[in-house]
Amino acid sequence: MPSYKLYYFNGRGRAEVARLIFAAAGEKYEDVRYERDQWPAHKAEMPLGQMPVLEVDGVKLPQSLSIARFLAKQFHLAGKDNFEQAQVDAVVDTIYDCLTKYVPIRFETDEAKKEELTKKFLAEELPKHLQNFETLGKLYGKGGHFFVGKQLTWADLLFFDVGAIILQVDSNAFNNHAWLKQNRAEVEKQPKIAEYLKNRPQTQF
Amino acid sequence: MPSYKLTYFNGRGRAEISRLIFAAAGQKYEDIRIEREQWPALKPKTPLGQMPVLEVDGVELPQSAAIARFLAKQFHLAGKDNLEQAEVDAVIDTISDINTAWPASSSDEALKKKFLTEDLAKHLQNLETLGKLYGKGGHFFVGNQLTWADLRFYTFGQTCIEAAPDCLNNFSWLEQNRAEVEKQPKIAEYLKNRPKTSF
Repeated sequence: MPSYKLYYFNGRGRAEVARLIFAAAGEKYEDVRYERDQWPAHKAEMPLGQMPVLEVDGVKLPQSLSIARFLAKQFHLAGKDNFEQAQVDAVVDTIYDCLTKYVPIRFETDEAKKEELTKKFLAEELPKHLQNFETLGKLYGKGGHFFVGKQLTWADLLFFDVGAIILQVDSNAFNNHAWLKQNRAEVEKQPKIAEYLKNRPQTQF
Repeated sequence: MPSYKLTYFNGRGRAEISRLIFAAAGQKYEDIRIEREQWPALKPKTPLGQMPVLEVDGVELPQSAAIARFLAKQFHLAGKDNLEQAEVDAVIDTISDINTAWPASSSDEALKKKFLTEDLAKHLQNLETLGKLYGKGGHFFVGNQLTWADLRFYTFGQTCIEAAPDCLNNFSWLEQNRAEVEKQPKIAEYLKNRPKTSF
């Protein structure tokens, strides 16, 4: 039985998908959270000077998506065969492409510029990403509510997490995307996930 | 025996990693190359309006990294267990981060110059760090054997060298890694015969 230690800031951010996977699997781990002022002292301990990092029996693994995929595979939440795992990976990459477009806007310091970029993102970028997510869910979901193969995988957990970020920017974002709304609702009502969401720390990010 | 069809532009770009995996594995596939003028007609027929796309027994898969990882796993080039596969994925993601940070060709020259002369070295240092962390003392990124992380760095390294010919001068481990990939017989053969394209 490996021991797992997850290092991140005290927030959801890039670690939350891993925490959701642990929760969905009912697996224990050490959830290490560094406050901003603690981080400089620990930065050199991490392979790339970044977090999240997952430590598995003493071996440190950086990169949030690699961490999540590793955990999902450990706990059978990655897709049931190589091809389903590839479909899950394709959904994950498509969600990540959208997040990558949004992150620079989120961290823009000029408020006026940020507002303008956000408006542009919502009007021009986001709609095609949402359409892409639905396209893949209908292509791989075998008619069900989950992205791939009629069962919960980490693609659904990632979309749940990134979906929350999108809804913070625009609470109406999924109004024309019933399939995406339904998918998040299915994740939310999984008993272990519901329990986790009720009890997790409330943080700013 | 599945049938594989890879569709992309007539260039290396985001498909070359998959072509290298097929080559390293000695696996046949249909290598469809679309010219720029053919693309608009094909675009709406692809799942996300993008390429590359891999068709496996008639089912389409988009996303170059997902495609490459699938093929690497099919042909035992992905890492020997889940943790090694995660180490390989971490190297892949770190290369992907460099691509994200790389200024677009439309950016101003000063920004591009800063990236090549200052930032790129820090990114390459990160890759060397991972190779030394996971490489078990050998020349490959993970576990003393060739994985798609090495093949990915091989293609990425070509991009770096074309932009800044001396970028690997201070990174002998990375240079040695590419040399090891290049001398694998099936890879050497593939490199000799592959189409020469501008990207």
